[in-house]
Amino acid sequence: MRSLLWAVLALAAASAQPVAGHHSISAVFEADKLVSVTGTLTKVDWINPHIVIFVDVKTGSAVANWKVAGAPPAWWRNVGVNRADFAESLAQQVTVEVNPAQDGSPYGYLRKIRFANGESLEATSTQ
Amino acid sequence: MKQIACAVIVSTLLASAAAVAQQARPTTGDRPDLSGTWAIFPGVNASSALRREAAGTEETRRLDRTGIRGAVGQGRGALPWTAAPSYKPEFQAKVQDLDARQSKTDPVFYCGKPGVPRVGPPRRIIQLPNEVVFFYEDMSGDPYRIIPTDGRPHRASANPSSYGDAVGRWDGNTLVIDVRNFVDDTWFGEKGYFHTDAMRVTERLWRDGDNLVWQATVDDPNVLTAPWTMAPRMVRRSTQALEESPPCRETDGPLLRNDDHHDQR
Repeated sequence: MRSLLWAVLALAAASAQPVAGHHSISAVFEADKLVSVTGTLTKVDWINPHIVIFVDVKTGSAVANWKVAGAPPAWWRNVGVNRADFAESLAQQVTVEVNPAQDGSPYGYLRKIRFANGESLEATSTQ
Repeated sequence: MKQIACAVIVSTLLASAAAVAQQARPTTGDRPDLSGTWAIFPGVNASSALRREAAGTEETRRLDRTGIRGAVGQGRGALPWTAAPSYKPEFQAKVQDLDARQSKTDPVFYCGKPGVPRVGPPRRIIQLPNEVVFFYEDMSGDPYRIIPTDGRPHRASANPSSYGDAVGRWDGNTLVIDVRNFVDDTWFGEKGYFHTDAMRVTERLWRDGDNLVWQATVDDPNVLTAPWTMAPRMVRRSTQALEESPPCRETDGPLLRNDDHHDQR
């Protein structure tokens, strides 16, 4: 009976584990803050542990090159999104909603991207 | 007479063709066939979904949690298991510290190899009469393992490695793999489960209906009070072909402001 109880407890513990590939968002980014950034998509790096895209944002004559990390490639693959879904918008305007980096640098964690053709991809929590 | 000759020739040809077909299709004897592509996607956050809007339509795709690391704790015929290994008292503080600071101390966090058993069940198995071949998708690279099942002993001269030196044998319908000769810089679980080069791992794989079940036992008498058998993981068949994992480049380390972390695998 005790082993059954242990098995149930262990199963509950194992099932409760979040399985992400990384540090928590809150270790680097401001998890409770969303910033919207619009600019030109210049690069799409389909790499682990997180995809990274780059967006040139013009403010007057100044250009800030934003680095935006997203979910792991395997995550995108399993929700049916490939690198090409991003890359076809290279050199075009995109708007990204990100959790900004805590250090204030032009770096964020991707929550949503809207492409020039109006299509958008949004990573949502379902639990 | 000519008809008899033709019949003999035809039957000989048919027999030859059958023999060729038999050779071309590896048999597994009376063993269960573990071959197949299995649904495992490590490193993926199960508690999320993608909402896609296009041309006025909206679609949400959710991940199937069991596709991440398998259905943990399921699988008929599993050995009794416990939630956590039992470290010797003198090592318990070290494990807790490594766990608490895993975003800074876990080799896998920085694209290191998970090794056995942390890599989990294989994504693809090719079972041959005298060996099984395991393929994995992992962000540290895509390892493979060729595991003899013909009764040969462990290699005497192999260098220690993350995935160790493995030999397999059949125990009834279960493939039992004995793995040893490990390096000591992997963890055998995400909670700071360090080990020494004395670690030995026993992996067990069997079929539960159309599913595959994988369960591992870790023993390291240098640091553990007893062998630890972890929860089984049951994985279903997958139609998604294996794909080369993109390169891994972790650059957030210097930016970490605290020890917040998720588990990985």
